[in-house]
Amino acid sequence: MKIAVCLKAVPETDTRIRIAADGRSIDPTDVKFIMSPYDEFALEAALLTKEAKGGEVVVFGLGGDEVPTVLRDGLARGAERAVHISSAGIATHDPMIVGTVLAAALKEYGPDITFFGKHGVGGDNQAVPSMVAEHLGVPQATVVTKIEVNDRAVRCEREIEGGLEVVSTTLPCVIAAQKGMNEPRYPKLPAIMQAKKKPFATKTAADLGLSAAQVGDAAATMTITELRLPPARQAGRRIEGDVNEQVNGLLSALQNEAKVL
Amino acid sequence: MEFDLNEDQKVFRDTTRKLLKKECPAERVRRLMETDTAQDAQLWHLMAEQGWLGLTLPEDFGGLGQGLVELAVIAEEMGRVCLPGGFLSAIFAGALVAEAGNSRQKAAYLEKMASGDLKGTVALLEAEADWNPSAVRLAVERNGEDFVVSGKKLFVPDAQTADVIFCVVRDGESLALLPVAKDAAGVKVTAMPALDATRKLYQVEFENVAIPQAEALGADGNPERALRRAIEVATVTLCAEMVGGMQWVLETAVEYAKTRHQFGKPIGSFQAVQHQCADMLLLTESSRSATLFAAWALTVDDPKAAAAVSIAKAYCSDAFREVCHRGVQVHGGIGFTWEYDLQLYVKRSKASEILFGDATFHREQVAQLVLGER
Repeated sequence: MKIAVCLKAVPETDTRIRIAADGRSIDPTDVKFIMSPYDEFALEAALLTKEAKGGEVVVFGLGGDEVPTVLRDGLARGAERAVHISSAGIATHDPMIVGTVLAAALKEYGPDITFFGKHGVGGDNQAVPSMVAEHLGVPQATVVTKIEVNDRAVRCEREIEGGLEVVSTTLPCVIAAQKGMNEPRYPKLPAIMQAKKKPFATKTAADLGLSAAQVGDAAATMTITELRLPPARQAGRRIEGDVNEQVNGLLSALQNEAKVL
Repeated sequence: MEFDLNEDQKVFRDTTRKLLKKECPAERVRRLMETDTAQDAQLWHLMAEQGWLGLTLPEDFGGLGQGLVELAVIAEEMGRVCLPGGFLSAIFAGALVAEAGNSRQKAAYLEKMASGDLKGTVALLEAEADWNPSAVRLAVERNGEDFVVSGKKLFVPDAQTADVIFCVVRDGESLALLPVAKDAAGVKVTAMPALDATRKLYQVEFENVAIPQAEALGADGNPERALRRAIEVATVTLCAEMVGGMQWVLETAVEYAKTRHQFGKPIGSFQAVQHQCADMLLLTESSRSATLFAAWALTVDDPKAAAAVSIAKAYCSDAFREVCHRGVQVHGGIGFTWEYDLQLYVKRSKASEILFGDATFHREQVAQLVLGER
């Protein structure tokens, strides 16, 4: 079975984000990039599928210098090879274009099943898996918490508001993994060292047959006009007095000020 | 010259940090402290699976053949979470076999040690608690083809969970390194009081315990030199753990200084608190530099390696204690409560300060090396 996983490099979740001078992007100075946490579930699902059904796992990543480390993490966890698609000349802020580029790379590979995280932490568009499925002309299941593959039949459990939905489809398909789908493995030190020896390809948009008119800034359907940090958290307030006064003060604050009771 | 960690070492660090953050939170440390051995089978299995137990052991014997800088990188992360259990003992015992063992002995021990199936520790100290190998007094007798040991060793870490105790004994003018099965007849292991409950210490008594002379490590070489080298490896590993502990205390104190308000502003805005934090940073970074240099020097057999190890331990012994003291000062009253995790690191710092020799001992070692007396 040919299994693809698309991995996104995102700032480590406890990174202190700074806005870049252009006011529309983050300043990457001193930012450490990691595999998007939802992609970890996707990769683990891919590896479990390979271990159960045979085949290979290929990891794909679109971006700049922050991507190879994440792809090597994927190789260390058990993927067979990696494809880094350089973001040079690609409007990566637009999910439509990201979907176009990834789909072009995936078409070259021809996977039976393609895994994504349900969304990339940071951008949070939740758009790319669906767009790739559309480009590839294959079915998709999103927010998947469980998957079973039998021959060409695929059964998925999806987490929906207040319940669980079971869907069935067929290969080839796109799966977007939800948190809790599995317990992602840690790369072992020997595997980290072996990962350096695994095949690692770098491609450009041109290598995928895509022109600047298709994937460059001019083709973007969306522009980020401004990026703002959330307002600073207000300092806490200490409620003084004996226990009764403190309880009454807290209740009053929750009812009249926060209006949550 | 490149002073930063290389890409592999950074990945090792990040992977270890992430794994230990999840698998060894303070609640688990506290649970293990309450046990008799502070050893967790699941954590041990995890460490073996990750390759940590065989990281620096030769590839021919099931290890990964990495250097001590890689080991230091991982040990620092262990120190950051105050990892309980026998990792340091395993490193000491593994280094001793790797340095002193012949091919047969390496084949017998190292692969099982790397896979976690065999736990080892080293029994060195006696009543004088002198870390110098030449201070070993416990003498063996020769009886036919056997060595026979009677006497006791003190402050032996993790002896209760060890499968094999490498006992350092005196054989005339030389030393003998005897592998003794913990469950052998005549071996009695008794817990000793220890300040750091994450690292248990034991008295090990031997009563007419016979070990075939052919089983002694280093019999066809220089056992004392091998022992000194193993001690250096374990000492660097401990220094790295101490750096990890310092880093935790520093980060925790700085975070507290930024969020704890007094007189209407964060206490970190007061210069007296800032000075404490700045000094903690200086002590931590200097300790890290000294430790990584010592690890590198040992790996490449640099002539200055022994001095580098002693300089690192002398500095870390004082620095970790000092960083913890300042951390407590920044925290104020809450800093020495049972519920607050800082106390775990204060105790670890005091126990680590003297483990493998305190600052005075190592300054003396440096002096001897400089004067050519060693």
